[in-house]
Amino acid sequence: MTQTALAETGPETPNVAAHARAWLDANLPGTLREDRLQDRAPTVPELCEWEAKLHRAGLVGATWPERYGGGGRSLRDHLDISREIGRTPMPESVNSIGKELAGPIIMAVGTDAQKDAYLPAILEMRDIWCQGFSEPNAGSDLAGLRTRAVQTSEGWVINGQKIWTSGASKSSRCLLLCRTGSVEDRHRGLVLFAVKTDTPGVDIREIRSIDGARHFCEVFFNNVVVPEADLLGSPDEGWAAATRVLSIERATNRMHRAWRFENQLRHLVRACAADPATRRLVETDYRRQIAAVSVDIDLLKGHVETLVGSLIDGNEIGPRGSLPKLFWSEAHQNFAALALEIVSQFPVTMSDDLKAVKQRMEDIYLKARAETIYAGTTEIQLGIIAKRILRLNRGA
Amino acid sequence: MTDHDLTPDDFTDTARAVMNACAGAGGTAARMSLLAEAGLPGILAPEAAGGMDLPLGFAVPVLAAAGRGFLAAPLLETMLLARAFAGVDDAVAADLAAGTTCATIAWSGAFDGTTGLVGAAPLAAESDRVLVFRTDGTAVLVSKGEGVEVEAAATLEVDRPEDNIRLSKAAGPELPAERVAQLKAEAQVLRAALILGAAEDCLDRASAYAQERVQFGKPLSAYQAIQHSLARDCLAVETIRNSIARSLSPHCATPAAAARATFVGAARLGSRVAESAIQVHGGMGFTWDVPLHRHLRMVKTLAAQGGAADLLEAVAAELMAGEDSEAEEMKRAG
Repeated sequence: MTQTALAETGPETPNVAAHARAWLDANLPGTLREDRLQDRAPTVPELCEWEAKLHRAGLVGATWPERYGGGGRSLRDHLDISREIGRTPMPESVNSIGKELAGPIIMAVGTDAQKDAYLPAILEMRDIWCQGFSEPNAGSDLAGLRTRAVQTSEGWVINGQKIWTSGASKSSRCLLLCRTGSVEDRHRGLVLFAVKTDTPGVDIREIRSIDGARHFCEVFFNNVVVPEADLLGSPDEGWAAATRVLSIERATNRMHRAWRFENQLRHLVRACAADPATRRLVETDYRRQIAAVSVDIDLLKGHVETLVGSLIDGNEIGPRGSLPKLFWSEAHQNFAALALEIVSQFPVTMSDDLKAVKQRMEDIYLKARAETIYAGTTEIQLGIIAKRILRLNRGA
Repeated sequence: MTDHDLTPDDFTDTARAVMNACAGAGGTAARMSLLAEAGLPGILAPEAAGGMDLPLGFAVPVLAAAGRGFLAAPLLETMLLARAFAGVDDAVAADLAAGTTCATIAWSGAFDGTTGLVGAAPLAAESDRVLVFRTDGTAVLVSKGEGVEVEAAATLEVDRPEDNIRLSKAAGPELPAERVAQLKAEAQVLRAALILGAAEDCLDRASAYAQERVQFGKPLSAYQAIQHSLARDCLAVETIRNSIARSLSPHCATPAAAARATFVGAARLGSRVAESAIQVHGGMGFTWDVPLHRHLRMVKTLAAQGGAADLLEAVAAELMAGEDSEAEEMKRAG
C-alpha cells in the first residue's frame, strides 16, 4: 500500500473514544462553541491555540508517526476520535490543508529533512498551509494549469497565478503545483513545491465569498525564487504520488463530517423543540423531513466506516473516493436547505438559543454551496463514477 | 459462531446458480427444494436444527442473488423462521431449514385472539404455514386449514404476490415476544439485501442497454445526461451496500439504528435505481417483458412490508426525545 499518513497502522487503543469525549467536554472554550451565540468569529491565533492544544491531547495527528509528533495509532483510532470531534460543536480546523493534504503528501514524497522540518510544525500549528492548485483557467481541468517553474542556478523561479486558494492570507506555507514545460504537456512535467508565503514576489489578495468571509484568496507569483530544498519529489514523481494521496484524502478527509452533521441536526431539533414558539416546526411541520436527514447521516456513516475498514484491509480506493464525496456534499446541502427553511420561520422576538441556531444554520447553508464545488465538483465526481467505475466510455 | 473459513462472498456464485435453477422450476415448493439442496434456507439456523449457524452477514449475498434473480419463494421468511424457532421448537426449525415445510410471514396486522384479518404474506397461497403476529407481541406459526383461510389480496408484487389470512383461531408453535422483535429487526437488513440485488441488476441492465442502444449516431452511454444518471444510480447501489456492511460490522456502535436506516435508505434508493433504469430504457422500459418493473414492484412491496414509513416516524421520535443512541452506547462501553 502507498505509504501515507492514513495508511499507517499502529496499535488500536482501547477507550480512545472515551478519552476524546471527556477531554473535549472539559476543554472546549465557550467562545469556540458553534452552538452558542457568538458576538464575533474566533481569531486565527485563538484557533491555532485550540488546535495545538487538541494535538497535545492526542486528538490530532493520531495516525502520524510519533517521530513527527503524531500518535502512531491505527486508522480505527482516528475514526473513534473523529466521531467525538464531530459530536463536539467546535470550529473546523484552520489548517486542514496542512493536516490532511500537505502532511500526507510530504510523508509520501518528502525527504527526511523535509519531513522533520515540515511535519511537526503542522501539528503544532507553527505552520498553516494553503493549497495552490486551481488557476483562473484551470479549475476542474487541473491539467490546464499555467503557473511555471524554471530551474536556475539560484533555485526554481516561479511565475503565474493561483485562485480559490482558501486561507492563503493566514498561511505560512503553500503547497504549490506548477509545470516545468508548456500547457500542451498536460499531466507531464507537473511539479510540487512547499513555498513560504512570505517569499518576495508572492502577492496574496483576499476574495470575499458568499458567506461574507475572506478566507478565499488569489495568489500571484512574480519571479518567486524557491530553493531546491522546497521541491517535493522530483518533477512528475511528486505529482504522481500526490494524486495517489489525493484519492485517499478525498475519501477520508474530515472523517468527523457525518457526526458533525448529526450535531448540527440535533442542535436544530433541540433548540426548536425547547421553545414554544418553534416547537411545532420540528415536532409536526418538518418532522418526517428531519428524520429523512437523520437517515442520510446514517447512510453517510456507512460510507465512512466501510471505507475505513476497506483501507485497514489494505484495499486501494482509486475512483471510489468519489462516492462518499458526492454523497456527503449533497446530503449536507439537503440538510442545510431544510434547516434554512425552518429557521426562516422563527418569530421576530427570539431567545439567544434560537438566535444561535439561526446564525449557525444560515452560515451552514451558505458555506454548503461550496461543498459541491471544491475537491472536485459534483459534475466531475459523476464523470469519474461513470467513466472509471461504470466504465461507460467503452465503445462510446 | 462455528469455526469456519467461509466468508459471505463465498456464497455469491452458489446462490446465483441456485436462483437461475429456481427461475426454471415450477412452483414455490419445487423452488424451496432447490434452495434447500444448497442449504440456503437453514443458513442462519443453528446446527441442532440442521442449519449452518452462520451470522446474518452470510444471508446478505444469498438474498442479494434472490433479489437480482426474481426469486419467487419466501426465502427471507424461511431463513428467519428457521433461526427464530431453533431452541423454541427444534423440529419445526429443522423442517424449515430442510425445505420440507414451506412457510411465510404475514407482515401486516396482528391477531387479537378471536377473529381477524392479517396481510402482506408473500406466497401464502403456496405455503404450508404462516407466521401470524399477535397483538401482545408474540407470534404463532399457523397451518392453513380450518380457521386459517388464505384470501387473495390486491398486491403490487408479481414474483412474490401477497395474500391475506382470515383467522378465526390461531394455533401452532409459538414465538415469544423477544424472538419476534429480533426477527423483525433482522428482517430489516435482509430486506435491504434483497433490494441491493434488485438495484444491482437494474443498474447492470441500464448500463448494458445504454452502451448498446445507438441514437443520433452514438450509444446512449456517450451522452453526459445518461452517464450522470447512471453514476447517481451507482452511488445509490454502493450506499445500500455500505450501509448493510456497516450495520453488520462488529465495529458499529449502533447496530439497531444502523439497520433501521439501512432499510429505510434502501427502500428509497432502491426505488430510485429501478425507476431510473426504466427511464434509461425508454419505451422498452415501460413494457411488461423488460423485467425492471418486477424489481420496482418488489422494492415497493418490501418497503411496505417492513413499514419504512413507520420506521421514519420512529427515527423522528428518537430525535425529538434527544436520544443519541451512539452516545448512550459509548457510555455503556466506557
